[in-house]
Amino acid sequence: MNNIWFQGGRAALLSLALAAGWAAAADKVVSIGYQAPLTGEYAQYGTLFRNSANQAVAEFNQSHRLPGVRVEVKFEDSKGDAKEGVNIARKFSDDRSIVGVIGDFSSTVSIAAGKVYAETHVPQLSQTASHPDFVKISPWQFRNITTMAYEGPYTANWVHDTGAKRAAIVAIQNDWGQSAAQEFAHGFTADGGQVVTTEFFNPGTRDFRAIITKIARQKPDVIYLAQFYEDGAAFLQQIRQLGVKAPLFGASSLDEQKLIQLAGPAAEGLRLPTSFDLNSQVPNVKHYVEQYRALYHTEPNQFAAQAYDATNILLDAIVKGGGAGATRQSVRDALAATKDFPGVTGITTFDPVTREPTKSQTRLVVQNGQFVPVASTKA
Amino acid sequence: MFDAFFFQQVINGLSQGLVYALMAIGFTLIFGVLNVVNFAHGELYMLGAFAGLLVIQAFAPPLFVVLLLVVAVGLVSGVLLERIAFRPLRRFADEASLKSKAIREATLLSSLAISIVVRELVSNLFGSNMQTIPQQYLLMTPITLGPLTFASGQFVIFGFALAMLLALQWFLFYTRSGLSVRAVASNLTGALHVGIDIQRTIVLTFMLGAALGAVSGFLVGLYTGNIFPAMGFGAGIKAFVAMVMGGLNSIPGAIVCALILGLSESIATEYIPQGWADLISYGLLLLTLLFFPNGIFGGRRERV
Repeated sequence: MNNIWFQGGRAALLSLALAAGWAAAADKVVSIGYQAPLTGEYAQYGTLFRNSANQAVAEFNQSHRLPGVRVEVKFEDSKGDAKEGVNIARKFSDDRSIVGVIGDFSSTVSIAAGKVYAETHVPQLSQTASHPDFVKISPWQFRNITTMAYEGPYTANWVHDTGAKRAAIVAIQNDWGQSAAQEFAHGFTADGGQVVTTEFFNPGTRDFRAIITKIARQKPDVIYLAQFYEDGAAFLQQIRQLGVKAPLFGASSLDEQKLIQLAGPAAEGLRLPTSFDLNSQVPNVKHYVEQYRALYHTEPNQFAAQAYDATNILLDAIVKGGGAGATRQSVRDALAATKDFPGVTGITTFDPVTREPTKSQTRLVVQNGQFVPVASTKA
Repeated sequence: MFDAFFFQQVINGLSQGLVYALMAIGFTLIFGVLNVVNFAHGELYMLGAFAGLLVIQAFAPPLFVVLLLVVAVGLVSGVLLERIAFRPLRRFADEASLKSKAIREATLLSSLAISIVVRELVSNLFGSNMQTIPQQYLLMTPITLGPLTFASGQFVIFGFALAMLLALQWFLFYTRSGLSVRAVASNLTGALHVGIDIQRTIVLTFMLGAALGAVSGFLVGLYTGNIFPAMGFGAGIKAFVAMVMGGLNSIPGAIVCALILGLSESIATEYIPQGWADLISYGLLLLTLLFFPNGIFGGRRERV
């Protein structure tokens, strides 16, 4: 069923793009390369990225911000595989119509491809690669996602404001989970708090009762969860069943409607930061969400929103980098100068030196089965 | 000194052990009779959970009725599994082919193939994400006794495991069908020669094992709040470890070893990071195989 809607949406979009192309057959074409996992284990993410990128480019071409120029996106499927990522990077580098590349999804593939782009001097903007080393490859790498180095201390600060002094951390045992736990702990101890215990669990763990009992012994004021929604849902249900009442804070990775569906009432009161709020009343977010629903008949999430912003940031850099005359160098320089870009995932500025993005984050709390924004001054 | 947290950990461990035990019972039953590993047991477990969930979503009947329907799905899938993955490879009833290693390995692979096909089919139909379970069916209602907290599911699973064990022992030792199951397990050719309907007995074993697997998957799904297509794999590995430790063919042995596994994992979490707790189970398996090559409860001639 979903698939039919999806196909329908895509067909509508394609005919839209074709119509635009028909009307402006003589336009100069500027291309964006987009590498993402369109098949394989992470295909659901690649699909979100493609939807959002197509939407952003169609809107851009309709807006006639660059008269006489038509932008098109060339998608390549990296299958979530670093080797494929490198091959695509070579292909995109050889394609002279491409002035900038978006992708890949994971840090691993983005870094592998990034090494090629560093040599061939193609600006690369990843919507999701959050590994600290990614932007350190060369001056040609950018990302539209805040790393845990920003989010951890941000949440720690929020926890500290609630008066909590002793925190327990539960994190998934992988690169991301470790950095999330570490960054939160740094921020929290810097604010004068104490981390009473940090518990890592193996991916795939579904029974957290032993960990919860171990944490309960330490009597923490709050518990910080660096998990994904599947683990998070099971954890929330089990912690409430074991009667542990400590307030819960989570990483933005838990910002999924599915978490509330799975955990039900156990999710109530969970607090987490996010850069994308589906129910936001801010006009550009509302516009994006409505258009996305209309085109694809499904809800966008924060991953889709990050791809939408990444595409728009690159389109903006193409305009500022000379439009029809934009080169890879001019697009890179325009990207590096991105300042106060008003996206659907908050206002983005790239640091001119480190190229790390800063974004405004929103605080959410689960109330009556909904993620509700918290006024930023009080918890 | 009474340490409530430690006792809570013991409770967590015993209930985790019961979860492993539930699955190990059906696994061991089929192994004991046929001497083949049924790699599709984890998928029977998953199918039971999905069948239960579909029934709940469609009619929302009382839990007891759902259980009966899950049992029915389990029985039917046991028959189908035997028909598709085991019977075609057991064509000859003569002694040589029944004892042939090639047949044993072929069924091992065919059951593995079935398990992959079933898991992928279910992922394609329902998606590989976790399924939402209606709150009122979750077996997670807290029950507090002083400083200790139990979940309703722990009692349900304990009661079910105990009932299964007793019923199975009664069936195997006091009924005519049970006697023939034990006869086939003990000596297939001998059973053939005294006129036991081997085909019927094997199908019966599969039906029982599969129904046990299906109900366990459903109950554990409600207790942990996790129903998803790959759920059988992790549980299957622990059940397999319990079965090997228990001696491959002793049902009480598998249950005791499953409890030891769950208990040692949860108590180990008190002292070492939880990520290392799996190491404890595999370490125990290794020690068992080094010092009791036939398993702690194995080594007797009669299987089951």
